[in-house]
Amino acid sequence: MLLDTLQRLLIFFLLVLVQGLVLNRIQLFHCATPLLYVYFIIIFPLNYPKWAMLVWGFLLGLCIDMFSNTPGLAAASTTFIAALQPYLLQLFIPRDADEHVRSSAATLGFGKFATLATILVILFCLVFFALEAFSFYDWQQWLLCVGGSALLTLILIFALESLRK
Amino acid sequence: MQNLLDFLARHFHWLVFLLLETVSGILLFSYNSYQGSTWISTANAVTGKTLELQADVEQFFSLKRLNEELSHRNIVLEQQLAIYREQLASNSQKQITDTCFLPSDSSSISAKIPAKVIANTIDRRDNLITIDRGRADGVRPDMGVISGTGLVGVVYMASEHYSIVLPVLNSRSRISCSIRGRNYFGYLTWPGGSPVEAYVEDIPRHARFQKGDWVETSGYSAIFPKGVAVGKITNIYNSRDGLSYSLKVHLSTDFACLRDVFVINDVRLPEQRQLMESARDSLEMK
Repeated sequence: MLLDTLQRLLIFFLLVLVQGLVLNRIQLFHCATPLLYVYFIIIFPLNYPKWAMLVWGFLLGLCIDMFSNTPGLAAASTTFIAALQPYLLQLFIPRDADEHVRSSAATLGFGKFATLATILVILFCLVFFALEAFSFYDWQQWLLCVGGSALLTLILIFALESLRK
Repeated sequence: MQNLLDFLARHFHWLVFLLLETVSGILLFSYNSYQGSTWISTANAVTGKTLELQADVEQFFSLKRLNEELSHRNIVLEQQLAIYREQLASNSQKQITDTCFLPSDSSSISAKIPAKVIANTIDRRDNLITIDRGRADGVRPDMGVISGTGLVGVVYMASEHYSIVLPVLNSRSRISCSIRGRNYFGYLTWPGGSPVEAYVEDIPRHARFQKGDWVETSGYSAIFPKGVAVGKITNIYNSRDGLSYSLKVHLSTDFACLRDVFVINDVRLPEQRQLMESARDSLEMK
């Protein structure tokens, strides 16, 4: 359990630094930014305490906010995704699986993991950019942001996942 | 009772969820009115330090380009110096006695605090810049920030060692400026989009000027001295209500590669602001 938490903490800081120092600088078409830190929430195992996931998600968002000067924006979105992840993961887990099975391409199969990641990332981007723009007066720009960012994020997640095998 | 406890235990995470989302919401919607808080921003000690380290590394790699720019600038200045020397020599021969009295330059009452940009965005609707000087170095909110090439913005928040600057490239930035040599004034806004173009609004209809004229700060407030370059007029439009001109300006400051900036510390700023506030108060009382 302790080892697990330490490992999670390490991934946490790595993702925050990578996002804060590198990925935040990438902005294609004025808006498409890879938001790789969602990966941290996607990989939570089945039956991880839900409240702990929420706290992890909130802290992750808060750290990201510190780097991008957007207090509350990423925090609200990551908390939202952290609340959804366990329910979505349950749909994709095979019935005979271990009780604390990790959420990864190796355990779920690539197709199922890809679907799970896609759903979560798109939901995340929807919430994130909706909160950022708040009013949808420029909905085409908003859709471009959601689509572009989701695509870039997913490419990075799949690359990372295939490395982890 | 047992049922209630069971219910709470089963749905505890939803309570946590609501609590955390509420906290996020409060942070999200109170940021604007929360001048004093800098801890969830790039101005807090940890992120500030991290970004400063990164900026140092980046700066090292841009030294070559910087060197070239400097030597280029040096050549230009040397040429100018030569021209001035020549003029001076020809003037002193004429022996004109000067009886004009010029008031002392305003630079004597405004000090410049050099600072380095450690974080910067240009592609959002509301961009912010973080610099590595804070309250400990004398930086206070509402001070002007300029770079070697022109206007940058106004200090928005200051923590102990870092500050956040509201640059021209922010939808909330409104900086008073005028057309060089003609003195009509308006205010500079940025509607988003291209980081090299901004608009000067409220230029009166009777103003005479042309494309290519320079726009500079007006010097009406103590935030900026008069004459800091803003940019060149590239296009002239009618304002939406048709009562004034709206000028498209090509900004002289390249926000995409901003490194060294100066914070302008004018001793008259607090006095001027106080006067303005008391004037407003007395108007409201009537």
